Amino acid sequence: MLKLTDDEKRMLQGEDGFVPQICMQYLVEVCEVAGAEKLIDLDGTGDFHTPMTSMSPFYAFPIEELKKIVDAGAHFKIPTFANKSPFYMLPPVQGWEKCNVCASGNKNCQHNDPEFHKEAMCEEWIELYRRMGMMTTHSCANYMTSTYLPTMGQHCSWNESSAVPYCNANLGARTNIDGSFATCFLGKAAYYDMHITENRYATVLVKTERTIKTDIEWDVFGFAVGEDVGVHVPVLTGTGKPTTTQIMKLNSAMNTGGAVRMYHIPGSTPEAPTLEFALNGKKPKRVTMIGEAELKRAYETLNYHTSDEVDLVYLGCPHLTIVDLMLIARKLEGKKCKIPLWIMTAPWLYDVAKNIGYLKIYEDAGAHLMTGTCPAAMGAVPAGVRNLAVDSAKQSYYITGRYPDDDNRLQVCYGSQDDCVDAALTGRWHGEWR
Amino acid sequence: MRKIRIYGRKEYGGCVEAEALVSPKPLQGFANCNPERGYTTERNHPLFKVPYAGKVLVYPSPRGSGGFMSYGRGQLKPAAFVHTETCPLAVACAMVAHIPSMTDFETDPMTVIETGDMVLVNADEGYIEITKKD
Repeated sequence: MLKLTDDEKRMLQGEDGFVPQICMQYLVEVCEVAGAEKLIDLDGTGDFHTPMTSMSPFYAFPIEELKKIVDAGAHFKIPTFANKSPFYMLPPVQGWEKCNVCASGNKNCQHNDPEFHKEAMCEEWIELYRRMGMMTTHSCANYMTSTYLPTMGQHCSWNESSAVPYCNANLGARTNIDGSFATCFLGKAAYYDMHITENRYATVLVKTERTIKTDIEWDVFGFAVGEDVGVHVPVLTGTGKPTTTQIMKLNSAMNTGGAVRMYHIPGSTPEAPTLEFALNGKKPKRVTMIGEAELKRAYETLNYHTSDEVDLVYLGCPHLTIVDLMLIARKLEGKKCKIPLWIMTAPWLYDVAKNIGYLKIYEDAGAHLMTGTCPAAMGAVPAGVRNLAVDSAKQSYYITGRYPDDDNRLQVCYGSQDDCVDAALTGRWHGEWR
Repeated sequence: MRKIRIYGRKEYGGCVEAEALVSPKPLQGFANCNPERGYTTERNHPLFKVPYAGKVLVYPSPRGSGGFMSYGRGQLKPAAFVHTETCPLAVACAMVAHIPSMTDFETDPMTVIETGDMVLVNADEGYIEITKKD
């Protein structure tokens, strides 16, 4: 049974005005659907997909209502960041001038058209959110550029499947995938799932045959783990200690193969000083092996091509860190791409990449730097591209969903960053599972 | 006609009876669900391009991104959701769809329901009733 505080009841009754009321109505419904018994006051950070005031059409409200509260001085209650570029067009924030993609395949919506770009950026909404304090990071990996992270135990409200485990497993803060205007504005979220300590312990013990070490091993492993454990919390054993890039790959891949909001790596993630601690001193409900056969099968699932002739290479799912931008620059310096290579990072890293010299290296090599979006989010690749090379399980597994028809299938070559750079330089796919 | 009743937890209320469409695999949204066409576009999926409009969509668990809520969008949405296991992806989906949605059953509905069975989803009273197609 849901229990609200007197303040929450007052908002629900509309005594604080229309926007707090509709936000509270929304949160009450989240609690009812989720079976939550109360709202938790957030003390961490939040993000949501702009510009919508709610992902649910039943709780969205018009810009006029937003203007009213902004003019009256309303602010977000917690530090609030923007997820990817604005919906539903998800334009590149930078580099759009050379993005020859029709949004969701619609020929009238060209991302490289200045007028379309301006409209797609939804500046009227975004400006209001900025006045409320939103820091417009516009990235699925905004935690990498936000310069401000929640700390252990803080309650948050994030909204990106690949980012949620970063908050839970890697930082030890607590979030569900529920970041919205309502949670960030009121600073409250439904108290269930990963906000509750008991739900955060591992119930599935994952073992491996090989030690998971390289970036692609972590990505393939993550996809296989996700498919195996589904919605349950795994403790991963038999791996090395992941780098930041590998954590981002693991997190996005586990939330492609499954819905892994939380996991543990004993000795690496903060809520798992030991295996026993990760399991809360209990026996795992299930023990599973992600061995050589499972890794090979996942790799083969992520490859979806009959031709080795590649038309476009895409790197940047999730949006790349500065280290990966450096590594790609090193691999491209003094070379020329034979086919288009797209490199995607967070908007707040664009000027950094420019100032540090990477942008010039990319441009000299014929590669193109963009920010804030990805092909799966834009809903298409450029016309004529029939075979896309990627180094991301997530991008590989989603992008083909945009091309379900037999007369318009998209092939995907999936491999390591090196395989992808090689494909960009040669126009051919040479990747294989090792 | 054989009828089987299974009790579970209401996510979103309502009461509706419709034919079941059972997904043997977890469902995934975002780019792998096309709400304008009303079917999953996930490659290799058993329900690839199988329309779910007006059906009781029965599935083991949600997976993938927050775009899972695509299953609840548009004119071609299902009549109801019945799923074995849940996570916040299913919560957001039920809230976008506003159709009866249930989970946490005493018996796994995946072991009882087959595509083509008629399923009454009485979320208000916390049960589903399956009429086997025979």
